[in-house]
Amino acid sequence: MRLSPRARAAWLRCLTDPRVVTGGLLILSIATLGLLAPWIAPHDPQEQDLLATLMPPAWAVGGEARFPFGTDTLGRCIASRLLYGARIALYVSVTAATGAMLLGTLLAILAAYFGGWVDWLISRAVDVWMAFPPVVLALILLVGMGAGVNKVILAIILIDWTRFCRVIRSEALVVMVRDYIAAARLAGFGHRQIMLKEMLPAMIPLVITMMSIEMGIAVIVEAIMSFVGLSVEPDVPAWGVMIADARQTMHQAPWGVILPVGAIFLTVLGFNLLGDGLRRALDARLVLSRAVATP
Amino acid sequence: MAFLALQLLFRRLLLALPILLCVSALVFGILRLLPADPVAMSLPPGATAEDYEKLKQAFGLDRSLITQYGIWLGKLLSGDLGGSIFFRRPVSELVWVALPATLELVALSLFLGISVGVGGGLAMFALRGGLGEQALDGATTAMMAIPEFLWAILLILLVGVSLQWLPFIGRLGPGIQLPPTITGFLLIDSLLAGRFATFGSAFTHLLLPSIALAIGLAPLVMRVLRSSLLETAQDDYVTQARLRGISENRILVRHALPNAALPTISLIGVQGGFMFGGTVLVEMIFAYPGLGNLMVDAVRNHDLPVIQAVALIYCVLVLGINAVVDVAYLAVNPRLRLAGAR
Amino acid sequence: MTLTARGLTVSATLGGKRIDVLRDLDFAIAPGKVLGLVGESGAGKSMIGRVLARSLPPGFSVTSGRLDFLRPDGESRDLVTVPGPELSRLLGDRIAFIPQEPLTALNPLMTIEAQFGEHLERLGLPASRRRARIVEALAEVRLPAPETLLERFPFQLSGGQCQRVLIAMAFASEPALVVADEPTTALDVSTQATIVQIMRRLQREHVTSLLFITHDLRLAARVCDDILVLYAGEVVERGPARAVSQAPRHPYTRALQAANPPLDGPLTRLVTLPDQMPGLAAFANLQGCRFAPRCPTRDAGCAASSPTLREVAPGHFVRCADACSVAAPAAPAVLRRLEAASSGVPVLVVENVAKRFAGKRDWLGRRSAGVDAVKSASLTVRPGEFVGVVGESGSGKSTLARLIMGLETPTGGRVLVDGQDVTQGGRETRAIRLGALQMVFQDPQSALNPRRPVERLVTQTMEAKGSNASEAQRLERARELLRETGLPPELIDRYPSQLSGGQKQRVNIARALCVTPRLLVADEIVSGLDVSVQAQILNLLLDLRAERGVGLVFISHDLAVVRYLCSRMIVMRHGLVVEEGETEAIFAAPKHAYTRALMAAAPPDDLDRPWPPDAAALAAAEG
Repeated sequence: MRLSPRARAAWLRCLTDPRVVTGGLLILSIATLGLLAPWIAPHDPQEQDLLATLMPPAWAVGGEARFPFGTDTLGRCIASRLLYGARIALYVSVTAATGAMLLGTLLAILAAYFGGWVDWLISRAVDVWMAFPPVVLALILLVGMGAGVNKVILAIILIDWTRFCRVIRSEALVVMVRDYIAAARLAGFGHRQIMLKEMLPAMIPLVITMMSIEMGIAVIVEAIMSFVGLSVEPDVPAWGVMIADARQTMHQAPWGVILPVGAIFLTVLGFNLLGDGLRRALDARLVLSRAVATP
Repeated sequence: MAFLALQLLFRRLLLALPILLCVSALVFGILRLLPADPVAMSLPPGATAEDYEKLKQAFGLDRSLITQYGIWLGKLLSGDLGGSIFFRRPVSELVWVALPATLELVALSLFLGISVGVGGGLAMFALRGGLGEQALDGATTAMMAIPEFLWAILLILLVGVSLQWLPFIGRLGPGIQLPPTITGFLLIDSLLAGRFATFGSAFTHLLLPSIALAIGLAPLVMRVLRSSLLETAQDDYVTQARLRGISENRILVRHALPNAALPTISLIGVQGGFMFGGTVLVEMIFAYPGLGNLMVDAVRNHDLPVIQAVALIYCVLVLGINAVVDVAYLAVNPRLRLAGAR
Repeated sequence: MTLTARGLTVSATLGGKRIDVLRDLDFAIAPGKVLGLVGESGAGKSMIGRVLARSLPPGFSVTSGRLDFLRPDGESRDLVTVPGPELSRLLGDRIAFIPQEPLTALNPLMTIEAQFGEHLERLGLPASRRRARIVEALAEVRLPAPETLLERFPFQLSGGQCQRVLIAMAFASEPALVVADEPTTALDVSTQATIVQIMRRLQREHVTSLLFITHDLRLAARVCDDILVLYAGEVVERGPARAVSQAPRHPYTRALQAANPPLDGPLTRLVTLPDQMPGLAAFANLQGCRFAPRCPTRDAGCAASSPTLREVAPGHFVRCADACSVAAPAAPAVLRRLEAASSGVPVLVVENVAKRFAGKRDWLGRRSAGVDAVKSASLTVRPGEFVGVVGESGSGKSTLARLIMGLETPTGGRVLVDGQDVTQGGRETRAIRLGALQMVFQDPQSALNPRRPVERLVTQTMEAKGSNASEAQRLERARELLRETGLPPELIDRYPSQLSGGQKQRVNIARALCVTPRLLVADEIVSGLDVSVQAQILNLLLDLRAERGVGLVFISHDLAVVRYLCSRMIVMRHGLVVEEGETEAIFAAPKHAYTRALMAAAPPDDLDRPWPPDAAALAAAEG
């Protein structure tokens, strides 16, 4: 695809935006660490050493070099668990955000393009969904479907399509009244051609921006769900599970909580910086209120 | 004016009724996909198949889904929320205790979040282009990257455990007596009973959880208010006011701020609703006996009637807060108020 | 002198280069006089107001010169250097502004009384007397029943009413100087006449100096005592209004005057200048006379040195090396109107179409009243005929265009294309329309997908389902279309953001021509363009008819333009056709009162004919 000079300039702005660069590097390093976990993790994440429980990190008094970030109540290596936890976090964020994006964007464009009862139906569905606090909807969905990491992904898609739908629908409505849509119709374009060739390209900057922010949200939702025990199997290391476990002993061993919180913070920060930078660089008209809303 | 506002609020709430009906059907539908069997789980060990059937009948789980929904809805309308399987008490009893606690928490959180958010937004606007704005911008970015429930844990760790400034478990300190229940709101009841020690204890117990929740709201309010202020500062009527020699302070207070407030108000509407979601985990972490705690307990025990009722109450609260905010929006924006009056 | 500019220069830094956006400006306004600042977009005419208001865009600054304002105490202050607080005291009190967009210039959340009251409070009027003073001021600008306006919000008023409120506010302090930046551009013709009349009356009564900034030479000639014509940041001509407008000496002023189609007298083909005014970034590359690249009478010397302003008659200055020697261009040939074939099946027949838009529900479930955008309109266009549709905003003329094109479905009446009924839309009717009718949209900014290069834009129809054109065929067709619409071939792979306004509108026309339609429907396609570019587009349309016999439904608010192009016209008002017939016949003897009022509202070319017309005639048009 040829890029218009405007698009080229926009991408150039992205690549030179400090937020995009910082956020992108953060995500890239977390992803690399997660992917390489089997090779670089010092221990198996489930390996217990009951003689070395609640060890502090290596740099603190009483710490040992073989457990760089210390151990948890069962003597499992925190560093290794963090590395493996990154895999879960990124897996959920990518799949869930993609699913929510596809569903939300499709419905948004259909609603804006056809208007009338199609729009009415989709908008009312969004209204009903918006009446739920996202966490509450996630809880009842998981109670209904049963726990599991793939159920969490499905739940996020079923909840957060509304985020995309609301924002992209209003942007699509702006595009709909542009004369080039009418011109395409007069040129003999069919419905699908207009939606795919004329409307969708105009939505891309917004979709990319929201996608980035949604990935951060998905990381948080997964952490919440594993924190309350509705996500991963008990033997899978996820950041939320680590926090929930370490919470019991945080008086004696605060780092067991602080380290996974830090991991979540860095990941979400990366996605937010990326999204924020993309929004500015691509000039995506994004109403902050709806997109950056944490669950 | 007040009467008009009430009238509008009433109309707005009426419009929310069909949504509520859909919400109830959705809640009911999702929960009946349930693979786990709540009847079997709530039977004592060694129960017979006969006991099982009896309990199933008692719960009404043996009839068709539509009938079950109809019965549930009918009871709901008469104020009967059913009986808890796990707690073995009427759900309404549980809810009536938990609801005021959650409302108290949300009210304080909203107050903190909005005041810090508005103050911060104005500060960011006043410091625009300088280092101060960048520092505040960095702070909001960091605040937004940590969800409320993690703030709750961090606050417990820092303020509760290390510094020991504030209590972080439950609603009242140990040994402090509950005031007689009049409204259910601890802060109000303790004042009505003249027990200031109770009031103090209840208030300090509220502080940490509401700070955790406010941290979720404040940075968003700050950013939206800042960017709408920057936008209105470019508006034609602001330029014109300046060209009439109106002072900058007056332009900010009378022209820019009211116009910039509109997007902020809608934001608070959406986020205020989401805040109820935030209470679920924050209450659980602070062992605060509100709806959220009830919800988590119910989820862990597959206590269907409680989950259903609490989820529905959450939706009522969200719709209620949306309606209030919509009416507030109307009060500020004459264009909507006077629509069609041209 | 109320306001005197001496050597005022405003510069911007672009890509490290200093560019003079406004160069060496000199003028003076005497008390009670009106100075017109005339120029096309980008000429720098709005910079003066921005210098006064200290609201230059970022990166712009006054690099030399002074702007002296005579204070009431007789002391003269340079407004460029005067301290901020002192300037603030002058603004709104001694110096007042009338804005371009009245609807956005008032705070949407404050009532008229609150905003006007705030202004009076700043002027030091005690609260008890403000209300009466507001009513008095609103009555002075002839707003009917001013008491009832006090509680209104700006969105409840029309643009003309808002502008009157702003004028009343501007004159409330009896200022020494009023700066009006395109105060009527956003308004309808009939409202424009009223606003001009009110402004002139107040200005005379209060002996106020008025700086009138406009793109419209014809209007400036009516309103101003002196006129100053700007081109690319430089004054090219300055002198008494009558001399500058009737007997311009600078080739640019002449071109401006010649580009305006006349409202009466014989029609001649408009003389146009090539290209358009260079953009800011190109200013730096201009050597010598900034107008030289477009000048019809340039010689080698023009590009070499920058000419100075020379006095060619008392008070009449021209920046041209040979302003006196250049004779007025020879009168071009009288325009021959191609008469439509009186026989043959009409390409388009519109019979009593109506369109009612149902009211929408707001979030409280309140349904707003429906709108009859078009109540009843009929129109017949024969092959090769140019028909004008004239109307002001809200007349339903744009809806009529959308009904003709099938973008809206009529709620009454019929639309026939080549004798076939296409009223209800659907697949077959789209095919019938596609071959016969195409539309040129008003705003190329909105009509051209910014993500498509010119080639993909003009040949968009070849991309539609059922068209099996190859890429090579598309490219070939695109080249043809560019040639036909007078676009240079190298533009073929440019994107809309890289084109000038006139080029975009040509691309817009080229796209409509791709399927070789027999009728174009053009909705206000020249209203966003500068006069000199407008003339180019009008001539292009005439050429297309001569070469290809294409017909045109030309929708416009501008009577002069319709007269220039169209042999027949209809006049619309409030969704109804109030008059129709041969253009010349209607211009000679308009039958409907509204048509008469509309014609009276447009400033005539002959400066001896009185204008603006009296209030009663205007009221008939506005009502």
